[in-house]
Amino acid sequence: MAPDTAPSAEAARTASGTGAERSRRRSSRTAVLAAVVLALLLWLVLYPNLYVLADSLRMSGRWTLAAYARFVRSPSELGALWNSIWISLASVALSGLVGVPLAFLFTRFDFPGRRLLAALAAVPVLLPPLVGVIAFLFLYGETGFITRGVQLLLGLRAPPWRLNGPAAILLVHTYTMYVYFYMFTSAALARLDPAQAQAARALGASGPTVLRRVTLPLLFPAIGGAALLVFMTSMGSFSAPYVFGGGFRVLTTQIFVSKLNGTPEDLALAAVEAVVLAATSLLFLGLLERLERGRAYTGAGKGIAPVRRRGAADVGAGVVAFLVVLVLVLPHLTVALVSLVPIGTWTTELFPPRLSLVNYRLMFTEPARLRPILNSLSMATTATLANVALAVAAAWLIVRRSFRGKGLMSALVVLPWALPGTVLALALATTFSVHAPWLGRFVLVGTAAILPLAYFIRDIPLVTRAALTSFRQLDPAVEEAAASLGAGPARTLGRVVLPLVLPGLLAGALLAFVTALGEFVASILLYTHATRPISVEILSQLRAFDFGAAAAYAVLLIVVMAIVFGIGQMAAADDAVRRGGG
Amino acid sequence: MGRRFAVGRPLIAVLALAAAACTGGDGRTPLVVYSPHGRELLTAFEQRFEAAHPDVDVQWVDMGSQEVLDRVRSEKANPQADVWWGAPAEMFTAAASEGLLEPFAPTWAAAVPAEMKDPRGLWYGTYETPEVIAYNSKVVTAAEAPKDWDDVLDPKWKGKVLIRDPLASGTMRTIWGMILDRSVRETGDTAQGMAWLRRLDAQTKEYVLNPTLLYQKLAREEGLITLWDMPDIEALQAKTKLPIDYTIPTSGTPLVVDGIAIVNGAPHAAAARQFVEYVGGMKGILLAAREFMRLPARTDIPPDSLPERLRWAQAQIRPEPLDWARLQQQLPGWMRWWDEHVRGRSGG
Repeated sequence: MAPDTAPSAEAARTASGTGAERSRRRSSRTAVLAAVVLALLLWLVLYPNLYVLADSLRMSGRWTLAAYARFVRSPSELGALWNSIWISLASVALSGLVGVPLAFLFTRFDFPGRRLLAALAAVPVLLPPLVGVIAFLFLYGETGFITRGVQLLLGLRAPPWRLNGPAAILLVHTYTMYVYFYMFTSAALARLDPAQAQAARALGASGPTVLRRVTLPLLFPAIGGAALLVFMTSMGSFSAPYVFGGGFRVLTTQIFVSKLNGTPEDLALAAVEAVVLAATSLLFLGLLERLERGRAYTGAGKGIAPVRRRGAADVGAGVVAFLVVLVLVLPHLTVALVSLVPIGTWTTELFPPRLSLVNYRLMFTEPARLRPILNSLSMATTATLANVALAVAAAWLIVRRSFRGKGLMSALVVLPWALPGTVLALALATTFSVHAPWLGRFVLVGTAAILPLAYFIRDIPLVTRAALTSFRQLDPAVEEAAASLGAGPARTLGRVVLPLVLPGLLAGALLAFVTALGEFVASILLYTHATRPISVEILSQLRAFDFGAAAAYAVLLIVVMAIVFGIGQMAAADDAVRRGGG
Repeated sequence: MGRRFAVGRPLIAVLALAAAACTGGDGRTPLVVYSPHGRELLTAFEQRFEAAHPDVDVQWVDMGSQEVLDRVRSEKANPQADVWWGAPAEMFTAAASEGLLEPFAPTWAAAVPAEMKDPRGLWYGTYETPEVIAYNSKVVTAAEAPKDWDDVLDPKWKGKVLIRDPLASGTMRTIWGMILDRSVRETGDTAQGMAWLRRLDAQTKEYVLNPTLLYQKLAREEGLITLWDMPDIEALQAKTKLPIDYTIPTSGTPLVVDGIAIVNGAPHAAAARQFVEYVGGMKGILLAAREFMRLPARTDIPPDSLPERLRWAQAQIRPEPLDWARLQQQLPGWMRWWDEHVRGRSGG
């Protein structure tokens, strides 16, 4: 892939600084970095999935298209494909309709508690997947608080609704996924240069026109990135359709069914379903990339904070923000309440009859029970650090440099999102259970490295998209200015580029960290006794019918995640102040 | 320079952390057990076994039996587990035919009837698990509760039946298998059985994700009747005060042979053999029977050493004769057909 060979360190050191030589050195450096990043991506992202592709074409040791034929002929398989697609499109639309206005609400209006509410508006991301589903059951399920409350209030004999079918799936998806729109748009809005909008206004454009012709196009990378993430997360979503679908088929549940049935035909069909799922997501990615192409969105980010005035509209905005946030934190409050329920004491009552701290006491008096939390923290940290390094390198290359294989790299950094966690876990388990170094295969299954690796791979799209968005909004003139003032590439990166892309990058990294911290789907297939993460421990408590203990873990997880987010928010705020003041 | 290091440094950190996590331990031989038997039973066995074998550190990993099979399958090239404890015999048979298990002859092997073990010693039955009809005992009295499978189809239970997702559960697959096997035995094909399951689907309010949610929904009266297995409900009664009781079906119930096996290529095969020896030995069998209501598969256990309630249950049980070989071959196809053509089609 890389045409040039790596220059030796010595050559790099001794090379003098004539213009032509410098530019040649720069391009060969680009080539080396591109080669390293591409090789890493090919090895970790593409390579394992080739084994899944091979599985879809093989049955009992023979190469065959039989599984594909079975897929195409089965109405229920095609139905599942169609359901996956429309549910995902609807999830994108609904999440966008919630997330983008929320971002505007918190960046364009000023009201008391704005900062706190803005942070709280991201709380769904603090809810670990499994716990979120359980919290929804306790809230909106047939005997949930809200359901029973409405039933009592209206004097109904039967529950007013059932948390079931596509509507329930879309509710859960919107709740968990609008955060992508909200965070990406907020970060982009924070970086938006108000001078452009002011200029448009001075030239006579009306408010809506400015929004349509200036602000939204500038937000397009952020909104496009969020749409992509939501579409792919939704395509790969398993718990929501499985728990709330009520027999509503999507591709992920079909994969589960096929895998559980376990005959060679079913296993091949599961691989086909995974391939179809990935192909659909990639198609969407292609469409989106095509949409993005040909638009230039740079010119933002001269570091001026948007001007805010308090007015009557702000009061209304504040009330709306408060109500929205209240709905958003309900699941968390539910989990907190359930964590106080001693095992077996709550059956048919509307509220738990007895509350105590026994679950927390048990959790802290048994040091072994803290182990999963420490495991998750260290594994998520490791994965996120690696994600940030890769994301900065990849985004810088894709946005700023031209090299062979750029299209491939752009596709590879999004590919992990196109593959459901189960498929990734399987691919990793297959690829890294054999010692064959010449094939790039090492025994990682059962070691402490496999889970951080899985988290790393899963979160590549999240962090890289965030970095890409930031780099795209960054005016190259800034870098050119630094270079013309004599700063070398390292100095430009460290002192100019990184500080400017930090808010966006940080948003992505934090999302990745909390995603890894609560990751469940891949963990459940790859954990070992020693690396047991918190999500698996929660499942284990749930299996033991200890909702209280599971919820106590969840609360602890939420608190840890909240602290991380708090730190991130503060860092971002500091950064904004620094840039605003400077 | 800085740019190139930006990639390298975290990768080094990853490797360092991985290396650090690999070391440690207290010098005991770790014994990894994959098992669906639940925290209480596994903890009890872990403690007793470690007391007898201080050089072994039992590390159980709690997961559903279907998940264990799935995992052992994907770890085939590099096995992580030493012992697989707990799954219906058919699952062990399937695993044995795929070369996932390792032969072993414990001292008690002869006490297990031939139909409850593998002829090559790849797996052994430990317990017999009867499937039962469970109900919410706060709303439904023992007299009202369904006495047999057909009673569950009574119109009065319409919309009140909860069913654990049958594809993911060994227990439910066995019940489905019994209904369909009966049908083949009596009429030569599965049509009658599928018709029965279609009527059950019409009674069913909801297919539930996992046992925990099933118990909770049953206790909170979201449904009143379900099909499940006896030891799990006994364990639930012992642990919680949930109003759930059961009846043993009068026309016969499948006795699922629950087994134990050593994983092929187990990293700690010697400790694994000791563990299997212990679980199926007299001490292990009596521990499971007395504290966890597990019916022993061994035929040489003196009845008076078993608890009263277990002997009562034993007297009630009419074992359903099942063609396990046919089930092993046909059930996956039947389950798939049911999933595509019966489930949710009856407006349940």
